[in-house]
Amino acid sequence: MSVSANDNASKASMRGFLAKYSVLIAFAAIVIFFSVASPTFLTPANLFNVLVNNVVMLAIVALGLTIVISSGGIDLSVGVSVDMASMIFVMLLAAGYSGVVGVAGGLGAALIVGILNAILITRLNISPFLATLGVLFIGQSTQQLATSGGQPIYLTSGYAADQFNAIARTALFGIPTPVIVLIVLAVVVHLLLHRSVFGRYVQAMGAQPGVAWYSGIRVPRELSMVHVLCALLAGVTGILLSATVKSYVPLSGNAFLLDAIGATFIGTTLSRERKPSVIGTLLGVLLLAIVKNGLLLVGWNFYWQQVGIGVLVFLVLAASFGLRRAAH
Amino acid sequence: MQTAKRDIAVSMTGISKRFGPVRALENANLEIARGSILGLVGQNGAGKSTIIKVLAGIIKPDSGSIVVNGETVSTLTPASVEKLGVHFIHQDRLLVPTATVGEAVFLGHEIGLGPFVSRRAMERRAADLLKRFFGMELPAGTLVKDLTTAQQKVVQITRALAQKASVLVLDEPTAALVKREVDSLFDVLRRLRDDGIAVVFISHYMQEIEKLCDRVTVMRNGTDVGTVDPRQTPIDEIIAMMIARDVGEMFPKRSVELGAPVLEVSNLRLGGSFENIGFNVRAGEIVGLTGLLGSGAKEIVQCLFGLKTADGGEVKVEGRELSLSTPVKAVRDGIAMLPEDRRAHGVALGLSVRENISLASLRRYSRTGMVSRGAENQAVDGLIKELSIKTPHRDALVRELSGGNQQKVAIAKWLSCQSRVYVLDEPTVAVDVGAKVEIYNLLNRLAGEGAAILLLSSDLLELVGVCDRVLVVYRGRLAGSFSGPAMNSDALLAASSGARSNADGVAA
Repeated sequence: MSVSANDNASKASMRGFLAKYSVLIAFAAIVIFFSVASPTFLTPANLFNVLVNNVVMLAIVALGLTIVISSGGIDLSVGVSVDMASMIFVMLLAAGYSGVVGVAGGLGAALIVGILNAILITRLNISPFLATLGVLFIGQSTQQLATSGGQPIYLTSGYAADQFNAIARTALFGIPTPVIVLIVLAVVVHLLLHRSVFGRYVQAMGAQPGVAWYSGIRVPRELSMVHVLCALLAGVTGILLSATVKSYVPLSGNAFLLDAIGATFIGTTLSRERKPSVIGTLLGVLLLAIVKNGLLLVGWNFYWQQVGIGVLVFLVLAASFGLRRAAH
Repeated sequence: MQTAKRDIAVSMTGISKRFGPVRALENANLEIARGSILGLVGQNGAGKSTIIKVLAGIIKPDSGSIVVNGETVSTLTPASVEKLGVHFIHQDRLLVPTATVGEAVFLGHEIGLGPFVSRRAMERRAADLLKRFFGMELPAGTLVKDLTTAQQKVVQITRALAQKASVLVLDEPTAALVKREVDSLFDVLRRLRDDGIAVVFISHYMQEIEKLCDRVTVMRNGTDVGTVDPRQTPIDEIIAMMIARDVGEMFPKRSVELGAPVLEVSNLRLGGSFENIGFNVRAGEIVGLTGLLGSGAKEIVQCLFGLKTADGGEVKVEGRELSLSTPVKAVRDGIAMLPEDRRAHGVALGLSVRENISLASLRRYSRTGMVSRGAENQAVDGLIKELSIKTPHRDALVRELSGGNQQKVAIAKWLSCQSRVYVLDEPTVAVDVGAKVEIYNLLNRLAGEGAAILLLSSDLLELVGVCDRVLVVYRGRLAGSFSGPAMNSDALLAASSGARSNADGVAA
């Protein structure tokens, strides 16, 4: 009797362990798989490429969504923030303004998107899902109107444009500059979400909004902050994107939305209470980026990559949920 | 009133049940007589629900015998129990919300031909039954979700009667009902009793037991400690049987030197709810506030915490006038609120004990916006110890705590803020007797430390036992202020329902 009880207990704790680290296990398995399947996968050049092109920009958007999802909301308009920042940044640089003005203008544009979301949600009491969906529609049309139906704007060579492109493509102490930007932002968001008073309020609003309100927390103000921060982070991605490709392509920001949501939810499997966390989100982004890159290297075309990612998300979440239930 | 030889419907003797090391039932007995309403009371964990689950065939007892309608039954299953005519009305409404009344009444026993159900026939039969038993007329095809909670209870009872129930067991049937609905439910139950049905009524509310039941069986520590007639046995005595100690200990008296007024309310009004409300609460004083549903008592409390904005009047805390438009301001001005709906407003179940306790006072444990875990842990550990909150550790989720301990976490949150005024909205609803005593002790200690406490409650015994003074609200006005010997449940009840009374003056 006691032997089998012990056995069951150790089985349960094993399952609990597997459930908790299902993302890490999946991660390791996938890295090993692609290393064997493709000789180029584990080369420094490829990993550098994955980091800079597939990880950094998505991760910064996902950091913003991690804050919003922690507060119990969602921001479907992150792509609009990316695009607006990108558009204004490129327009200012193309008009000959300095890089500082370009960055300030780009972030300002993203800020306006965030404030618009905040007003709709906290003043008009529209649910975050519908408010940001509306802003998504408006933002997309605005871009098409501003670019005569979606014409890209290219940065011709000029001082500021070249300088940014150089920064985006160079490295500091052997680390690509965009990666440094990501690390700094990740540390800041981590401290904000998991160590600060603001972060506690965000978690409380996400766990039980009524309790937050009854505890004297200024819920509308904190929620506004959440949406502004999310839009600003997406704006950073918009500027990095334009600096890398030396252009603004309308509606390109939407590509980040679903991947960022996916990464954040994959990251929630790391915590017992399924709460989003910065570390979890970063792992989720890495996982998605590596799968995309690996499938490309082994010769799958773009459409099959999407199928691969869908299956991966199912597997990680199902394994985590299923194993955890079994562990209880 | 009872004949010498009662007509016994169900007799359970010597029932024992263990769950691992836990003794849920130990040689427990329960006798249910036809044509009689039996109350079943006891603290949470006393074995009430276990013995009922044994009867329902949900839990298999380790030993003991069960006799139903004169026949010894060896194994009970939920289906076989229904065939014996024993029906259960569980606490959670187990009705399909989108079903019609007819469908709900005949759920599991549909009327029809083969695989086809006749909705029309079911509606008609259900309407007949509702009218015959309860004089209730509902439009044909009414959906369950459009009924009041009381009407849903009646539909559940009708379902049992349609199956020819001879024994009806109701678990906390009044928990979600308002006073008027409780009265009509009681009328229904009395009628069923007079028709010879055996009714078992489980409740936390002693006044209901006193009003409704012919006999009451008290359970404690997994066994029945006695069966008495609640009309001849004082409530105090029944409670004493439940908790095995004196009721005097349940409402621990204290002697506190009252200080200066801390909360001063004058001429407060809110259109459509109340007007001309004025009272003071002094340091160390516990003032009760009560009134029937819709009297405005609840809205007064809501205005004091900024949940509703009063149309006029003045609220002062320690002499400072407040503008109470949101809870944010109320908290900043030192007002603490223990809301009635603990799960929605009191504690966040998905957060840890630590995060809940420090939530309203994080600024005290932080520097430049960052929380200092050391200071927070120290304060939280202190409060867990001080209030003897039973939790495995400070990072355990509040969801894992018992109701009484969750309520203590909600109180600890305000202690951590060092609030001066405590507004409590029905703090002991759905909390068992033992935890109630702990909460009363806590209130006394708060008062002892100079806090001003306003206790909104509809439990008159609680008000009389705990408060220094009780204010009664009737139709939006203060109908009386009672203290000393004048403060008794009869006087409070009379004033709540608008009868003239000799209160010691309206405004205090």
